[in-house]
Amino acid sequence: MLRNDADSWGTLAKLFHWVMAALILAQIALGLMAANWRVSPTKIELFFWHKSTGMLILALVGLRILWRLANPTPELPADMAGWERAAARLSHWLLYALMIALPVTGWIVNSASNVPFRIFWLIPLPAIVGPDKPTADLFERVHGGLFALLALVLVAHIGAALRHHFVKRNTVLVRMLPGTWRTP
Amino acid sequence: MTKVRSLLWLCGLLLAGPAIAADWKMDPAGSTLEFIATFEKTEAPGVFKEFDARLRFDPDKPAGSRLDVTVKVTSADMNIPDVNKEIRGKDWFDYSGFPQAEFHSTDLRRTGGNRYVARGTLVLKGAKQAVEVPFTWTGSADGAVMEGELTVKRGAFGIGTGEWAAADVIGADVKVKFKVKLRKG
Repeated sequence: MLRNDADSWGTLAKLFHWVMAALILAQIALGLMAANWRVSPTKIELFFWHKSTGMLILALVGLRILWRLANPTPELPADMAGWERAAARLSHWLLYALMIALPVTGWIVNSASNVPFRIFWLIPLPAIVGPDKPTADLFERVHGGLFALLALVLVAHIGAALRHHFVKRNTVLVRMLPGTWRTP
Repeated sequence: MTKVRSLLWLCGLLLAGPAIAADWKMDPAGSTLEFIATFEKTEAPGVFKEFDARLRFDPDKPAGSRLDVTVKVTSADMNIPDVNKEIRGKDWFDYSGFPQAEFHSTDLRRTGGNRYVARGTLVLKGAKQAVEVPFTWTGSADGAVMEGELTVKRGAFGIGTGEWAAADVIGADVKVKFKVKLRKG
């Protein structure tokens, strides 16, 4: 099933989830390497792939949010406590917000640094702010801070998924797995 | 009478004789010298803020003309703070070793209409290379404008050495564009 229903995520939502999960993990590795590499052609290449991947993630998250809004959201298990529901809602909301805010702050850094850039060598990225070193420095810090928050939320997200599966033994994790996994 | 006539004729000959090519000086306010490198296959423009061009030139009789340009390499500005810091170094322009670049023409000719080409030697970062500088000439009441562009290989001048010599990240070709406003003098 392409669309979600009340019990499980549809094929397209799963595809969004796992493709973006892979992209985000690659993106984190690229970003950490690019930031710490010594000045060299390799550093420029790393930044090139980091920026291109970031813009891809930004485009995908836009589509993903539209798809989520156009579909029913599978219900949380009935036995979840109030704080668990609140934590789930907050962490999911944060993940979506960060999938937007990280690429956008990166885009601001790139614009303020005045570095010419074409996404995957193809699409010229327009500047969203003018060249300004203090702006670039500030948003570099904001970008790093948001990354730290993302790392924290990802740990909570993955930890919670594993807890649902192994401790609470419900379907929260398996209903996001590829294929038609259904526990009776 | 014949004496007077021949004298007049002589005067006429002198007046109509070969015009002496004028000397031209650059007006820095109306002149620009840009260099456009590429960065991941995307144009990365920069300028040399300080340079000077001197020209002895008659647009109708370009033979015997001369173009001499000096460029203060240390005035390069790519409008990216990190890059401006980087290009000072030995791998790139090497500001401390080679603060100035020069072009001297050895031959200047018309290629048609208001188009000309100056052949000569560019001395940049200590390397001497023959280059052709094509330009258009637009005269006006108070002076003239010469405009043109050429492409140079940064590798020929050792701009970007070592690991930077590879052309996949920073392209091998650099476009040089100039617009020089000149006044007679």
